[in-house]
Amino acid sequence: MSGLAIETNQLTKRFGDVLAVVNVNLCVKQGEIYGFLGLNGAGKTTTIRALLGMIRPSSGDVKVLGEYIDPNGRGPWGRVGYMVESPSAYPELTVHENLEIARRLHGISNKGATSHVIERLALSSYAHRKAGTLSTGNLQRLGLARALLHQPELIILDEPANGLDPAGVVEIRELLASLAQDKGVTIFISSHILTEVDRLATRIGIIHKGRLIQELDAEKFEKRRAKRLAIKTRNLEAALVCLRSAGYKPVVQEGILLVDNEHAIEHPDEIAEILVNAGTPPMRLTVEQQDLEEYFLQLTGDAK
Amino acid sequence: MNGFSSALWAEALKVRRSKVPIFTTLGFALVPLIDGLFMIILKDPEAARSMGLITTKAQLVAGVADWPTFFSILAQAVAVGGAILFAIITAWVFGREFTDRTAKELLALPTSREAIIAAKFVVIAIWTLALSLFVFALGLLVGTLVSIPGWSAPLLRTGFADAIGSALLTIGLLSFVALLASIGRGELLPIGWTVFTVVLAQIAAITGWGDWFPWAVPALYSGAAGPRSELVGLHSYLIVSIASLVGIAATFYWWRHADQTR
Repeated sequence: MSGLAIETNQLTKRFGDVLAVVNVNLCVKQGEIYGFLGLNGAGKTTTIRALLGMIRPSSGDVKVLGEYIDPNGRGPWGRVGYMVESPSAYPELTVHENLEIARRLHGISNKGATSHVIERLALSSYAHRKAGTLSTGNLQRLGLARALLHQPELIILDEPANGLDPAGVVEIRELLASLAQDKGVTIFISSHILTEVDRLATRIGIIHKGRLIQELDAEKFEKRRAKRLAIKTRNLEAALVCLRSAGYKPVVQEGILLVDNEHAIEHPDEIAEILVNAGTPPMRLTVEQQDLEEYFLQLTGDAK
Repeated sequence: MNGFSSALWAEALKVRRSKVPIFTTLGFALVPLIDGLFMIILKDPEAARSMGLITTKAQLVAGVADWPTFFSILAQAVAVGGAILFAIITAWVFGREFTDRTAKELLALPTSREAIIAAKFVVIAIWTLALSLFVFALGLLVGTLVSIPGWSAPLLRTGFADAIGSALLTIGLLSFVALLASIGRGELLPIGWTVFTVVLAQIAAITGWGDWFPWAVPALYSGAAGPRSELVGLHSYLIVSIASLVGIAATFYWWRHADQTR
């Protein structure tokens, strides 16, 4: 065993003239929570499908849990749980029946596994409801239940928070974190929403236009994302003058004063004091961090 | 095959919970019922004449009200109706995995894709054969109820062989429907294909090449265009078998090698 749960080597996938994924070299260590970030259409799902042997790479290779993924091979699928794209289920079958199918196809002899995972994903009250009548959030839970049913060593999730309400997002995040911490499960999670991943992931990979443009520890990523102080005040001109005279270089954007000075970000209380003393107290003072879109633009130089 | 029994259980559950079996059974049950109606019309020409076009049509298709005619109509209807109805069943079993977006849940499992596809084929074969047997049994009941003459045990055997034989030939050709439901990722392409083959089969039969065209063979076998011995030969059965195996092999190959992007 290499110690790597996922390893891709120059993974490339072409659909006709479209290069969906280009020379992607992923390394996900066992026990890691890997956040795979990218905007819609960046190549996340194509990469995940290649990891799961659903599509054949145009070039390069994929190794999952130490096994090369080949359409002709059997694959390590008994040890991998996954959810790709939008959740799906047989609509005329109940939640329990959908999971029973998954249990049997995974070769799990313990019949209690289905009830256990239903309980774990808080689906008990929907167990005998037809999947076609479920809300998107509960369908998402059903998809997650199917991914966790066989207690896999590696869980690959594509945008798992889609359709979940905020409480559900937190609940799933905690569940995944506990699986990683307590059981050493490796989690590979993709998202186009940064905040979904940055509180969970220990390592982050960023894919843009099919290329893995950055791979770094979550802490480093946090530090690299630019922060700024956003100030809302009644007298914008007066605030601008007083901050400039204090040595800052604020800019105005859509009626908000933005200061990217490190000292100001670290000490917003001092900025508040300056504004109060100048007779233009702040109505709102917040430290904002670059979102994923802005970070991409900065990283790829696509900024206008 | 790894996990075949599990896959068969799963496929059977999907069928049991679906409304498709009820609708296909009801649809196919019309075959013996209409056959029985023809017999009633043919038994009483005076009453039949008062029914106008229906009588004319019944006279054209049938002839006299007896068991040989009844079995002949039944076999022809099973061949033609089966081609369409069985195709709908096959298109649903394979195509629904794409329209319900569940195909992706079948691709990375300890149960092999081959086991799942084999289970689908087995379920389709059992389902369509059971439907054919049901229709034949219902035909016997309807024929008895309308009390038509000419019954004999040898006739029962030939009637059974005609109807179930043509059904089996039709079932063999469903592998292409399965293949096209997979390639087309849904039900539309295979249904279109079925209409296309039904039309082509007509042309092939009219032009005298029906015995060489696999999709024309079930109807010719049923006696739709004349005595079977004059219309189909060993080469016809061979062609149907080859077409069936090619369709099965291509379906397995597709599920193993095609990019699964849905």
